[in-house]
Amino acid sequence: MQKVEQSVDLELPVNKDSAEYAARILRDVNEIVDLNTGRSGRLIRVLQQSQQRVGYLPPEVLTAISQVMKVPISEVNGVVSFYNFFTTVPRGKHVLQVCLGTACYVRGGQRILDVLKKEYHLEPGDTTPDGILSLDTVRCLGACALAPVVTLNGQVHRRVKPTGVKELVSRCK
Amino acid sequence: MNKINTLQDLEEIKKRVRPLLAVREDTNFARFKEARQIDVLVCRGTGCTAAGADEVEDAFREAIKRRGLEKRVRVNVTKIGCRGFCEKGPNVTITPGDILYTRVRRADVDEIVEKHLVRGEIVERLVYVDPISNKPAPANKDIEFYKRQRRIVLFLNGLIDPWSIEEYIAFDGYRAFIKALTSMKPDDVVEEVLKSGLRGRGGAGFPTGRKWGMVRSAQGNEKFVVCNGDEGDPGAFMNRSVLEGNPHTLIEGMLIGAFAIGNVRQGYAYVRAEYPLAIETLNHAIKQAREYGLLGQNILGTGFSFDLDIFPGAGAFVCGEETALLISIEGKRGNPRQRPPFPANKGLFDKPTTLNNVETWSIVPQIVLKGADWYKGVGVGGNAGTKTFCLVGKITNSGIAEVPVGTPLGHVVFDIGGGPPQGKTFKSVQIGGPSGGVIPIEHINTPVDYESVTSLGAIMGSGGLIVMDEDSCMVDMAKFFLQFTKDESCGKCLPCRAGIPKMLEILNKITQGHGTMEDLDVLQELAEMVGSASLCGLGQTAPNPVLSTIRHFRAEYESHIIDKKCPAAVCAGLFRAPCQHTCPVGLDVPGYTAFIKEGRFDEAYRLIRQRMPFPSVCGRVCNHPCEGKCRRGQMDDPVAIRHLKRFAADWAAEKGFEYTPKVNGKRNESVAIVGAGPAGLSAAQDLAMDGYQVTVFEALPVAGGMLAVGIPEYRLPNEMLNAEVSAIEKLGVDIRLNTRIHDVDALFAQGYKAVFLALGAHLGERMRVPGEDVKGVYDAVEFLRNVNLGREVETGKKVAVIGGGNTATDSARVALRMGASQVDMFYRREKKDMPAIEEEIVAVEEEGIHIHELTAPTRVLSQEGKVTGLELIRMELGEFDKSGRKTPRQIKGSEYSVACDTVIQAIGQRPDTGFTEKYGIKIGMGRTISADRRTLATDRPGVFAGGDAVTGPWTVIEAIAAGQRAASSIKRYLQGQELGPRVDREDQETFLIPRPEDVEDVKERSRVTISELHPGKRASSFKEVNMGYTAQEAMSEASRCLRCDAEAGGE
Repeated sequence: MQKVEQSVDLELPVNKDSAEYAARILRDVNEIVDLNTGRSGRLIRVLQQSQQRVGYLPPEVLTAISQVMKVPISEVNGVVSFYNFFTTVPRGKHVLQVCLGTACYVRGGQRILDVLKKEYHLEPGDTTPDGILSLDTVRCLGACALAPVVTLNGQVHRRVKPTGVKELVSRCK
Repeated sequence: MNKINTLQDLEEIKKRVRPLLAVREDTNFARFKEARQIDVLVCRGTGCTAAGADEVEDAFREAIKRRGLEKRVRVNVTKIGCRGFCEKGPNVTITPGDILYTRVRRADVDEIVEKHLVRGEIVERLVYVDPISNKPAPANKDIEFYKRQRRIVLFLNGLIDPWSIEEYIAFDGYRAFIKALTSMKPDDVVEEVLKSGLRGRGGAGFPTGRKWGMVRSAQGNEKFVVCNGDEGDPGAFMNRSVLEGNPHTLIEGMLIGAFAIGNVRQGYAYVRAEYPLAIETLNHAIKQAREYGLLGQNILGTGFSFDLDIFPGAGAFVCGEETALLISIEGKRGNPRQRPPFPANKGLFDKPTTLNNVETWSIVPQIVLKGADWYKGVGVGGNAGTKTFCLVGKITNSGIAEVPVGTPLGHVVFDIGGGPPQGKTFKSVQIGGPSGGVIPIEHINTPVDYESVTSLGAIMGSGGLIVMDEDSCMVDMAKFFLQFTKDESCGKCLPCRAGIPKMLEILNKITQGHGTMEDLDVLQELAEMVGSASLCGLGQTAPNPVLSTIRHFRAEYESHIIDKKCPAAVCAGLFRAPCQHTCPVGLDVPGYTAFIKEGRFDEAYRLIRQRMPFPSVCGRVCNHPCEGKCRRGQMDDPVAIRHLKRFAADWAAEKGFEYTPKVNGKRNESVAIVGAGPAGLSAAQDLAMDGYQVTVFEALPVAGGMLAVGIPEYRLPNEMLNAEVSAIEKLGVDIRLNTRIHDVDALFAQGYKAVFLALGAHLGERMRVPGEDVKGVYDAVEFLRNVNLGREVETGKKVAVIGGGNTATDSARVALRMGASQVDMFYRREKKDMPAIEEEIVAVEEEGIHIHELTAPTRVLSQEGKVTGLELIRMELGEFDKSGRKTPRQIKGSEYSVACDTVIQAIGQRPDTGFTEKYGIKIGMGRTISADRRTLATDRPGVFAGGDAVTGPWTVIEAIAAGQRAASSIKRYLQGQELGPRVDREDQETFLIPRPEDVEDVKERSRVTISELHPGKRASSFKEVNMGYTAQEAMSEASRCLRCDAEAGGE
């Protein structure tokens, strides 16, 4: 969600068991940690930027962060599990977020979720078995005047009707 | 890029840049053609960008270049920040002239450039049209939504480019900071803020000056200033608007704060991650401020150093709480902690810290620049300053409204917000987010200030106003907020962690139909415990939505618990389909609609008829609450349920179909029913079906009550009514016409074991103005009755009808048919507040009857004992009354008169209940009979009452429902059983409703229009105006039904 100022290369590796992979992770995490030297709340910032790059936070990244920052892994996991934004499971190729803020709820946000459950058997937190689409709820994007709001890969769609969300989903390949 | 070293440097930038921006304040469109500079201001806030403003901006640049406009005039295409009008975005303002275009798409840009920029003409179709008055308001300054606001926090939003520090400086930006830094003492700055009366705008309202003073005097030589930009309340986005539209004002505010407090070298702005654009904009502004030497080391060479860093949130609502936020900045889990110690002494990194909201920080520069008195002066009723509110939910004008603190809430919701759209009735406004409460219409005049709102059980909060209408369920809203706070609870303390889910469990029980009244008591107790024992603000205020909705909408909870009914038709666990649930008699709407769709009309008819005895009547005159809840209405038009019912009834009548319910056995007890209206006759049918001996006493010479003598022939032909009345008589019900009952004791003496008083409300209210006792002045009820009974009625040529309900519209249309050449209606409120059914108001105007609003009669003018005219006075709207409408009051000296020869008063009705008190039957408000609303029992055992006689004038279907309820109660009474809240009534036949097909894609399709008599042909006769559907039309309309009952299968 937040832009990283300098892009750091943290590509999805081919062989997760190789020493080469572990070394690359360590190197990249070091870079991100250094980028944030002297800034307050470094752990949260490092986690945010790492997730930005990889798309999620796999255990090897968390371990590397713990090592580099000399913070116990339990504390790292504690922070990851506390904040909604962090996810330790891979997201689908496309991410659909349905806003369930009060204004969106009052204007039919729940019905959009009902349609997604009925038609695609998707509940918030799920990813389709083929890995194409993930569904999340979000609590208020601040576009309340445009309720109900849905985002697809970060792009905000406004005044979405339950029938309209099916059209959005069909675009995800 | 100029580094600022002195106030002089600042002045120079202002001098250079301000003239370049002067065009933006030039609201004179007449000057447009000769303008040397044109500014095209494109809003690039989150809302407008989501709607495609980025493409629009690019398109403008492209088109202007292509047209070579730059050769003739200087054109600037500028990004501006959020103006809080997101629902109308993308918004583009063009100056000089201050013309606003709304909902601009990329495809519109060429036309705007060609027509407006080149030829100087306004593009009419893109101009803002006021949704209430329906008049176009091309210039920003003409838009009511803005006119009624007082923008001091937001005044630069929409005027300057948020990515340009120089534009901010041009409007006196950073002047306050430099003034403070170079010519004021820190204590003086704190004093000024204290004197101004500024209170924390994040929600708690703690005096800002006092907080700063506390931090200033705290021990320590390293202190912090922090900005709370978490804005977690769903429905609040005013902080986002400031960050995206005018970020420098926040930076300046924090600079001043840092200076005033002393020993502050670092500040943090905690901005939630869901606002990426706000983060980006603020980031850029910070960089610019550094470049211009306003942030960093040794600012202006004074030795004062300060820098600002942004900390992005990670999606935790609790981090909007002060201690949780500060801990989060330290990189830890956002668990709140106990206070004391307060952050003023021990805050970020255990150092003295002041945390203030974005809005609080951003008004500080103006307070320092213009002085405390200026700020105090903006504000109503002893309050200081303004508050920004986000108007969202069921509201016509959705956006941000900034008003002086102390403004009445109704002014914000109705005058600025325009109230709920589509004519729906306002129910409540939720204020304060998940920590807040609901405010119902009775308190809508409350000033929005911290104390008044708290006394109502809500809190000011960050300013999100979620407006809710008749389709929102208050129990469901309480549940919604608890789900939210349950998810967001950090889990540290027991009351919140365990108490909230427990409360939620009870609410779920209630909304699923298993709630008891004890549950309500436990819920309240739990709520109070959680509120008082929780560690932090989240837990302490989480029960507010529950306590507040119970306090103001207890009846709604009781409806869910006792009646298993959700009045808003939201709680799906209670019903099969919203239409059926809303119908007072629970007609199987999806069922008969499905039958009609398949051409199985006789089954459709039987399904309706077995549930209530008046399908033909209701198919013509019901006010159809079902259609108001029809889910299809959210797509295009609600299904025409009433027309379909009529079709089925008419089809049956045409085929000579007769439906006779089975009579179960025979009982000896006799029941007396007073009144042969819909309530009385419905009760009679049900009692007769169970074998009781029923006698209905009717004072009039005909049966049907208002159906016969109120509703005119062209809406409900007598023939159709009489057929349905006969069917009831065929069950053995004895209807005695021309028999007025005035003695209840006598009925019991005659051997009746129970009495049902269904008298209706047939006495018309009088205007009570001088001169009304002359020939030609009629009471509407009497007028309609006489016409319906075929009696001699002298209607003049020029008729004036006073009133706005169905009786008034009926009287007006009847008068026309009785030979009047001109009929006018006079109503004391606005047309949109008329209680008459919408279709009737449309019909009235189609027939050439004029409705005059905001006027009331003061005197009847006459000559020789006959009406010659009417004197009226104009009305204006004052404060809100309990019905949710503004009280009309006379405008002194505005009397005027109109000529007329007939005046019909249709201003209200009441039941003729003068005789009942003598028999131990209490009378209530409006002379209505007092009866328990669920059992319909009066104070006298064996005597029941229902319909208009109890409720006052209401609807036909409610009267029918009351009749059935009375029959159910009477049966229990006669069998010696306890009376209960439910209606015992079994359907005699079971039907197998056709299953819905799986519809792949439902396409939008409007309702099938029903045939009506041409307006020109109507007034000459009493022929029925509405001509009904053909079979084809009915089947087509029935296929629009979404079969909401099918989804219920999974519940």
